[in-house]
Amino acid sequence: MYKIKKALNSQKVAPFVFVLPFILSLLIFWAYPLISGIVMSFQNIDFGVKVWVGPAHYLKLAHDKFFRIAVWNSIEYMALTLLLMIPIPLLLAVLMESRLTKAKGVWKVIMYIPALTSVVISGMLFRMMFSEADGSQMNRLLEWFGKAPIAWLKSKPTAWVALLLLCMWRWTGVNILYFLSGLKSIDDVLYEAADIDGASARQKFWYITLPLIKPTTIYVVTISVYAGLAMFLESFMLWNGNSSPKNIGLTIVGYLYKRGIEKNDIGYACAVGVILLIIALAINTIQLVATGTFKKEER
Amino acid sequence: MKSKKILAAATAALMAFSPISVMAESTEASTEASTEGEATAVTTVGPENGTKFEMWSFVDVHNEFYGKMVDLWNKQNPDKPVTITFTTYPYSDMHNKLMMSLQAGEGAPDMCDVEIGQFPNYTGENCPLYPLTDALAPYEDKMVKSRLDVYSQADGTRIGVPTHVGASVMYWNAEIFEKYGLDYKSVKTWDDYTKLGEQLKEASNGEVYLTSVDTGGTDWMWVAMAEYGEDWTGGPDGEVNVELDSVKKMLTMQQQWLKDGIAMVSTDGHVDLEAGYKNISEGKIASFPKAMWFMSRFVNYMPEMKGKYDITTIPVFEDGQKCSVGIGGTGTVVTNQCKNPELAAEWLTWAKCSKEGEEHIWNDLGFDVCNKSLWSDKAFAYDKSNVYNTFFRVMPYEVLNELADKDAIGTVYTTSVSPTLNDYINTTTLNEVLEEGKDVDEALAEAQDYVDMEIG
Amino acid sequence: MTASTAKVRISHHTAGTIISTGLFAIIGFFIAFPLVAGLLASFHPGRELVQNGLSLNLDFKTMTLNNYKYLFGFGGGDSKVDSAKYFLWYKNSLVLTITTVILTLLVCYFVAYGLTMYNFKLRGFLLFLVIATMCVPFEILMLPLYQEVTGMKLINTNAGVILPGLCAASTIFFFRQYMVTLPRELLDAARIDGCSEYGISVRIMMPITKPAFASMAILCAMGSWNNMLWPMLVFRDAKKFTLQIGLNTLLTPYGNNYDLLIAGSMFGIIPILAVYLLFQKYLIEGMTAGALKG
Repeated sequence: MYKIKKALNSQKVAPFVFVLPFILSLLIFWAYPLISGIVMSFQNIDFGVKVWVGPAHYLKLAHDKFFRIAVWNSIEYMALTLLLMIPIPLLLAVLMESRLTKAKGVWKVIMYIPALTSVVISGMLFRMMFSEADGSQMNRLLEWFGKAPIAWLKSKPTAWVALLLLCMWRWTGVNILYFLSGLKSIDDVLYEAADIDGASARQKFWYITLPLIKPTTIYVVTISVYAGLAMFLESFMLWNGNSSPKNIGLTIVGYLYKRGIEKNDIGYACAVGVILLIIALAINTIQLVATGTFKKEER
Repeated sequence: MKSKKILAAATAALMAFSPISVMAESTEASTEASTEGEATAVTTVGPENGTKFEMWSFVDVHNEFYGKMVDLWNKQNPDKPVTITFTTYPYSDMHNKLMMSLQAGEGAPDMCDVEIGQFPNYTGENCPLYPLTDALAPYEDKMVKSRLDVYSQADGTRIGVPTHVGASVMYWNAEIFEKYGLDYKSVKTWDDYTKLGEQLKEASNGEVYLTSVDTGGTDWMWVAMAEYGEDWTGGPDGEVNVELDSVKKMLTMQQQWLKDGIAMVSTDGHVDLEAGYKNISEGKIASFPKAMWFMSRFVNYMPEMKGKYDITTIPVFEDGQKCSVGIGGTGTVVTNQCKNPELAAEWLTWAKCSKEGEEHIWNDLGFDVCNKSLWSDKAFAYDKSNVYNTFFRVMPYEVLNELADKDAIGTVYTTSVSPTLNDYINTTTLNEVLEEGKDVDEALAEAQDYVDMEIG
Repeated sequence: MTASTAKVRISHHTAGTIISTGLFAIIGFFIAFPLVAGLLASFHPGRELVQNGLSLNLDFKTMTLNNYKYLFGFGGGDSKVDSAKYFLWYKNSLVLTITTVILTLLVCYFVAYGLTMYNFKLRGFLLFLVIATMCVPFEILMLPLYQEVTGMKLINTNAGVILPGLCAASTIFFFRQYMVTLPRELLDAARIDGCSEYGISVRIMMPITKPAFASMAILCAMGSWNNMLWPMLVFRDAKKFTLQIGLNTLLTPYGNNYDLLIAGSMFGIIPILAVYLLFQKYLIEGMTAGALKG
């Protein structure tokens, strides 16, 4: 008994005890479904009857111009959200932390609430604000600048303004939250020491905050890569369904639903899903290797 | 210290196992215990000894209606009572869940509402639904045939029970036409309609559009196809062809309307959306074709329009054509996981096709019923207590009877190619033609190419 | 209010304070606008929103509490939704969210602890697997997972909803990224003091990971409260529905009950906002400088 306890407490065994739940969960809830999912991407499935079709689904995907539109849209969206949703929330978080900002609690709550509102409601609110009707908020804004009203959601550049604003509206507060907790892990002593050395605010940001918040930044990048590539609901909400004019809002997951699940073609849906998995994993692996996250010893 | 150590180790190591048993137990216990106090939340209708069924819908009021029909059935058939548990799910999720459970072979309900657009997913060789041909036989000749056909296999086996006809009709803002002294009632053909539009444009100084054309919906195209007896899906076993004369004529005409300033493009794509209701209630558009069920939108969202709107049949391209088509709908099915499908089918067809059932469908749900034998029944169709009979300037069934007399309701099928087809038309073709003024033939040829490639 | 406090404290920071606070005020205004418009809409008949679009029209004469009356069951026979149902959904969501948050945070914390605080061979590979599971679209897993959970007799149970997502990769990874920055020297000190590996994880490390716990609690609660796809597949009994499932049943192809939907959603924000207010103070606490010198 004592021996077992001692063994369990050794630094060799303990890590495995800690990660056991993950390994179990992986084996039970991931391994089987994922392998079945990949197998299904080579099959046609019609109510229990499975027919092996080889790489047919993938070949079809390779030739579908709408799938290319979807992939391109998703990648574009991911890139744009990374550009917007990392630096801005980071700067806002730093400002929020500084003594300069008053009434912090109020701003934090306001910025966080959008993430809580139901998807249906926020989609409706944005659809109304960006409506092509003359009275919509955005068209009134244009009017105020002396411009004619436009059909915001019918052409890509303006529709994407709406899409990206919706994304920023919903998620800026959440990203700030990540960065705020990251900032908390930085030891105040470092800033005090820098103050003694007479460092400027900018120097402190560049030489202390930015390097030390790197793990949090990497985290936000990692989840944003997948979230950006897998974006679907925002588009669905904005166009009140899975169809947008000339597919300007079609994303990979939207395509997966449209061509797979809504048409009861689960095999095809799985093939699309596998491609999304490959793209997301590839980008994240490159990004994480480049930033050194997988290295044995971080410090 | 020692006990704490053990505790810590135990928590960490057993983390994965403990919740399973604890939670599984507690939830099961609560299911059994909670049947009494929360009776309002779950709707089970029928006696203890009834044959038990589970039924899903995506519309709460449908389930309420079915509940009433269970009570009535049990009164009339004390020898074979049924007890049904009803669950309402969100629309797309219910279909998703139904699909999963039928694919997985377990967990499906006994009966379920299926929206017409989703229906083709369940037809075909390995159809997971119980055939309803026999159960529907007593009602077959009284029902609108085209509505039974759309919920059938290619070989004619009935697998769904329809809810409504969804006959498309013309809605007119009579007040506007009266104001400008224009006569909409004599409009018979699309040419008449176009002329009326020119007059309206002139009379109102271009402030009121005759109608709005849809870039995000195919209702207009369906009407055109029904008029010429065409169908771009090719029917249950035909071939897709979108390059139809009817569609070309309709699109060309609409393009011309836009050019002439007679019509506008529907704000946000079609009129059945917030912006559409606004255009209607503000009198920005004066008429539009839509299915009968659009009446409920007036009652719910535009109550101030009471007494202002009139309903007639839709204009035709050429005299003698059909002028209506059933749009939208819900087919109710019995799944192959049902343990007692004969009884389920018997109850279901009775609930939705009998006079008793149709009375509720018309009065509670506000749908044009599929049982034609009731349309001319005065007590049924012209009861003043029905909200729709007093809301419009005409009683809806007068229009329906006119359609029935002329045998003017056509059919456009919803088949397995429909999602692909509708999607391309709604996202691309209609936008190109109506927003960008692209050549109709060219746009339709591209649509054809795309659909051929997709299904080929 | 902000301007006056700034004036009182005269310092060289005044200009910065005004700019910084002003910036947040502007952003706050744009973020709040749709929210306020939505909130106001919940005090108007649904058809008004549908017809007139959004507005910040604060005309008390036209405002009514009817939507909330319906929601809470004082609407009499007119009510389109059963208030008992609404509160049941509410309660279900609360129970599910609280259980999910507590279990997920504990499990993920310990997994991340193991992944971060020890050097062992499989570590890099396991971390890769964590990242990999973050990149799997749920839609691939949906059908097999449904079959599996059905086979385990977990269908229609809270366990069936919670267990598959218990080891949330994004939560593990967040904890991991947070802990990476913490000095491991603390652990060695505790070991010398005779503390067990598990004791250290609970008594030494957990307290200094508070900000991470706080933000993950907030995020996890949000995710669970808004989660719909999977609970929807697992639950097959209206008694167990969550608020999101219930509210979404108000949207149908035959017309949407905007009145109730908007009131119900606005009221649904409250508990999740409470979670935020409850935990965000731990976010502020952060690390005490003294404890971590080294």
